[in-house]
Amino acid sequence: MLRRRRFAVRLEWRPVVVCAVLALAIAGMAVLALMTGSYRIGAGQVVSALTGGETGLVHDIVVEWRLPRVTATVVFGAALGVSGAVFQSLLRNPLADPGIIGFSQGSYTGALIVILVVNGTYLQLVGGALLGGMATAVAVYLLAHRRGVQGFRLIVVGIGLSAILRSLNTWLILEADLEVAIAAAAWEAGSLNGVSWNQVLIGGACITMLLLLAGMLSRPMRQLELGDDAAASQGVRVAPARLALIVVGVALTATVTAASGPIAFISLVAPQIARRIARTAGITLAPAAFVGALLCLTADYIAQHIAPTPLPVGIITVILGGGYLGWLLFTEARRRL
Amino acid sequence: MTTLAQRHDGPGTATVPGPRRRLTGLVVALATLLILLVLSVMIGSTAIAPSVVWDALSNPSADIDQFAIRDYRLPRTVVGLVVGAALGVAGALIQALTRNPLADPGIFGVQAGASFAVTVAVGLLGVRGIGGYMWFAFAGALIVTLMVLALGSTRQGQSPVVMVLAGVCVSAVLGGAGSALELTNPDAFDAMRSWNAGSIVGRPLDLVWPILPFLVVALVLALAVSGSLNAMALGDDLAAAQGVRLTRTRVLAIIALTLLAGGATAIAGPIGFVGLMVPHVARWIAGPHQSWIFAYSVLLAPILLLASDILGRVLMRPSEIPVGVVTAFVGAPVLVALVRRKNASAL
Amino acid sequence: MNRNSSRRRGTAIAAALLSTTLVLTACGGDSEETADTAAAPQTRSVTGGNGTIQVPADPQRVVTIGNTTLPFIDMGGKPVGVTEVGASELALIPTDQKATFDAATNLGSSGDQVDMEKLAGLKPDLILAQLPASEFEGIKKQLEAVAPTVFWGLDVEWKALADGVSQAGDVTDGLGEQKAKFQEKIAKIQQTYSAIIGGTKFVNVDRWESSDPGTFSVADFGCVEIAQDDLGMNFPKAAAGEDPLGWTSLPYEQIAGLSKYDVITYPVDAAGQPKVSFAPVVATNTWKALPAVNSGRALGVFCPGNNSYGPVLQYLDSLDTALATLPAKQ
Repeated sequence: MLRRRRFAVRLEWRPVVVCAVLALAIAGMAVLALMTGSYRIGAGQVVSALTGGETGLVHDIVVEWRLPRVTATVVFGAALGVSGAVFQSLLRNPLADPGIIGFSQGSYTGALIVILVVNGTYLQLVGGALLGGMATAVAVYLLAHRRGVQGFRLIVVGIGLSAILRSLNTWLILEADLEVAIAAAAWEAGSLNGVSWNQVLIGGACITMLLLLAGMLSRPMRQLELGDDAAASQGVRVAPARLALIVVGVALTATVTAASGPIAFISLVAPQIARRIARTAGITLAPAAFVGALLCLTADYIAQHIAPTPLPVGIITVILGGGYLGWLLFTEARRRL
Repeated sequence: MTTLAQRHDGPGTATVPGPRRRLTGLVVALATLLILLVLSVMIGSTAIAPSVVWDALSNPSADIDQFAIRDYRLPRTVVGLVVGAALGVAGALIQALTRNPLADPGIFGVQAGASFAVTVAVGLLGVRGIGGYMWFAFAGALIVTLMVLALGSTRQGQSPVVMVLAGVCVSAVLGGAGSALELTNPDAFDAMRSWNAGSIVGRPLDLVWPILPFLVVALVLALAVSGSLNAMALGDDLAAAQGVRLTRTRVLAIIALTLLAGGATAIAGPIGFVGLMVPHVARWIAGPHQSWIFAYSVLLAPILLLASDILGRVLMRPSEIPVGVVTAFVGAPVLVALVRRKNASAL
Repeated sequence: MNRNSSRRRGTAIAAALLSTTLVLTACGGDSEETADTAAAPQTRSVTGGNGTIQVPADPQRVVTIGNTTLPFIDMGGKPVGVTEVGASELALIPTDQKATFDAATNLGSSGDQVDMEKLAGLKPDLILAQLPASEFEGIKKQLEAVAPTVFWGLDVEWKALADGVSQAGDVTDGLGEQKAKFQEKIAKIQQTYSAIIGGTKFVNVDRWESSDPGTFSVADFGCVEIAQDDLGMNFPKAAAGEDPLGWTSLPYEQIAGLSKYDVITYPVDAAGQPKVSFAPVVATNTWKALPAVNSGRALGVFCPGNNSYGPVLQYLDSLDTALATLPAKQ
């Protein structure tokens, strides 16, 4: 398998076509999302609002509410897809994602402490979530570090620490007022409600930089997939490359989490779907990004329209992503056995 | 046998412990459990004199402190014992079944199923109170495990790997649907946040008794298949060559596991780590022999649970910390330590 | 609610976090909202937690968010849109108010899960909101783009909230009367039971759906605050700057500790039966063995809400009736 890929690497046109098709699908979905909403605005008015021809509430709804939300779903989805791809490649495990090293639970703990203990503002919540997630990731990394970090150990330590934090979170929620607790739980479910241009632009800028970094790291990443020794023999400095990849992967998820709360499963599913439709042997970044964006956009559209009142997007991604990934892995395992 | 021992055990236990060491260990564990049972009745968030405790049991009267012993401490001790033993054996079963030392009884979707069923009961059916939750949780756990079992069946029978994957997938979907329900229904959310913590407090014994027969049946089943599981640890082919009926063993083990984990979760809510950790400790002491592992798990798991519960009563007086929270704090460091051990990469 | 001490504890962390996050948001430009109040000539100014707001003199289409919904309906308001209220709370309000609530469009749960487009589609001319400040911050801009929005934080006392909601929502008609009744009732209870109020150690206990099984709380928030602050009854209270006592859940064995109080108040429903979530406490042997319970000094009190005068008056009636059953002391 691996040998074949090395021969084919320069002639891979399929991923390019797949990415182009995905981009079209994303554009179509984005237009649909801009056109529809519980506040009825005609297609003509939407176009004129986008070109600056409307004022007042219609302008606000299209340009200040829907557009940043659509942009956010695309950018955040791409970031999650790439983040998952990096982790799955790094840990050589299709079930790996930043959540597995405790990031999501850690950021939830941070957010809960800000909401419940400090009684803080939205900005403090974002800061708390980032700090909590990062601290957990660092703790997991350090705890798993013994003469280098080995993928499996990282996963197990991550599961352990996540479980402690999950218990802590349950307990914090238990101690809180109902309204506050529900707000915290909605944040944890991952919601893009009320995303503003502020969040999108800052998040987008961070994500763009991180995606570029990830692109630069994609060559060592592929070589690390072949094993530490093989990578080292090709001139990759194993430890720094791995650390850099972890940092990029966590930072991508962190940025999204800060803006919207943890949106589950996209980072887990996107690289797997991408690998299957692009028919690449290993994990590739670009298709994962496109699939992530499309998934996030679609999930958010469903979340806004499926129930009488909108649901957090994270709930839809859990149901869809969990179901799909389970089915995929399961049919594959079934075929093999 | 030796390769297996090395795979599962830490350093220094490559040789299987002799029957003498196993038996001594078992006696020590039993003594510890007895001491903890006594402590669990003696220690609580209020200070009650030992003489009153003794009177409450030997010479019952309508004294208000005596009620505290008979109505609260004694039942929670019994519940801790039952739930602990069930979780411990369930953990040993699933680890033997999947040959994965990191498998947790929750992995087949037991806890997700129980949790989702309770959410539906509260949110859509308006059920209130722990007695009602219990049966929904039990039914949910059983139904979801059956679903996972059906999904995980291949032409060759039940593959543990496929079952785990099916469990992950079903858990995720149910978890998402559950939180959708909770977020749109404040009452369900409110009820679930305490249920999700996992606790052995406030479960009156008359509610627990009906679940007990299921647990006893499951324990007997687990012991009955322990020999076959032992053989299967060496690999399916070898076991088949020894005359083990693979599918039958797996199905029986899964039934036992579901009843144990489902029953425990129904009574106490989701309690993590006990089922994961205890069989490990059992394996360190007893070596890779399923009957011994089961025997140790039956004793060690209630020890962990009761010790955690007692800790939870005194740490934040006059309030208490739910035992599910304490076991995670006690258990997770052990897990991390386990992974950091020398041979851990071979896990 | 008082969270001063915890706030102090967190200040250092908060400052550190804030500096990080400020950098993150510094680049974003705030686009100014166009205030189209010019179209509506008749306005009044009211003051809420978000400053002084120009609201329509006679608002026709009001949307209520969070805790403003039930008080607004209680004062006779008919909102066009509301956020979710728990079924257990709704079960306690009068049927005509429940009908008003059901007639309004449901905009989802409070806070940042409000369906903004649906809200905008209702074309409200006034939005009233009480919710955690951190949540309001997230939706403030969107709400203000739709209609003038008056906000109150969770730390606002109920009387102030009632005054504010009635002024902003222009439902002052019933309020004067309700206030007068309230004063009258308070005076009557204080006068009738002055000896009891002066010389009795009360304790108020409660239990909620979210309480762990096997636990209860000594509740010092809710209706009991009125008994304490307005009537001057002696209930245990958290020290200044500490978390409310009610946040600590106590295991049932601590029910025995209630014997040091003269009179116990506990929650009942409109029919006088213990509230469903509290019923397990009443059923315990420990509760039955309490001296106060044995001698008729455990009083069931009905508290349908403590956010506006309507439910508070019902509470006072219930308390009045309960106090009347106390065996005459001395």
